[in-house]
Amino acid sequence: MCHQTVSLVARHLEANGLPTVIMGCAKDIVEHAGVPRFLFSDFPLGNSAGPPFDTEAQALTLELALRVLETAPAARTTVQSPLRWSEDPAWKLDFDNPATLTPEQIAERRKEFDAVKSIIKDKQKS
Amino acid sequence: MPIPYMQRTRDYYLALGFPAYRWAHFADVPFAPLGKPLAEARLALITTAAPYQPGLGDQGPGAKYNAAAKFYKVYSEPSDTIPDLRISHVGYDRKHTHAKDPNTWLPLAQLHAAVKRGRVAGLTPRFHGAPTNRSIRITVETDAPELLRRCREDGADAVLLVPT
Repeated sequence: MCHQTVSLVARHLEANGLPTVIMGCAKDIVEHAGVPRFLFSDFPLGNSAGPPFDTEAQALTLELALRVLETAPAARTTVQSPLRWSEDPAWKLDFDNPATLTPEQIAERRKEFDAVKSIIKDKQKS
Repeated sequence: MPIPYMQRTRDYYLALGFPAYRWAHFADVPFAPLGKPLAEARLALITTAAPYQPGLGDQGPGAKYNAAAKFYKVYSEPSDTIPDLRISHVGYDRKHTHAKDPNTWLPLAQLHAAVKRGRVAGLTPRFHGAPTNRSIRITVETDAPELLRRCREDGADAVLLVPT
């Protein structure tokens, strides 16, 4: 949802004359919404600004985003960071993947989801 | 290949017994050219991270999804110091990352460094927090206009947006 939220905000800012760049990890969500400038890092969600405890990679990630901001020739410009999370792409199979969950795990997640929804509902009311 | 999050989420919701979520999609995309070199431009930062709220449960690195820590209104904080922000309120990849280093979702320290070396003229006095909302309507009609108002008020020339 974070990626969709910032995509919608970026669109609104741009429509009102403010140039933007998004740095993020969910390529399909951002491109599906349609944004002007996007630096994509193929990392697990939570690492939009670069990998943990790697100042050099974080500096490069920001620099790439700034370059996208400066040089994008038109809307829907996506640049992919050359950095890789790991040599083994197996991490990509895990996130919210029902194919890797047992029926018991799915039931447990459903229970957690219902609990979360009820907390959100209460909070929105207050 | 990047993770197909929209398909993944659709399958995940269906497996849990929920209807598919309809992701935002627009055919037209606005584009505002950068009007000046970055070395003369003032940059605003927008994050989806949440200010730490004591008493609302574990919000630390690796904490389970904490819906109580979510926020529903745009907030702003000074950009000249590093704030205590957390990401327990969103669905980041808790298996493959640990959220121990805030610099992975908030590039404020890197932005300070970029200003120091003259890459960017400066940051706006405040950065802003965008509520992550399943409601496209609330984001578009309420939060985005408020963020625009605050960015303009701060004299931003351009905006960097960083989702979690």
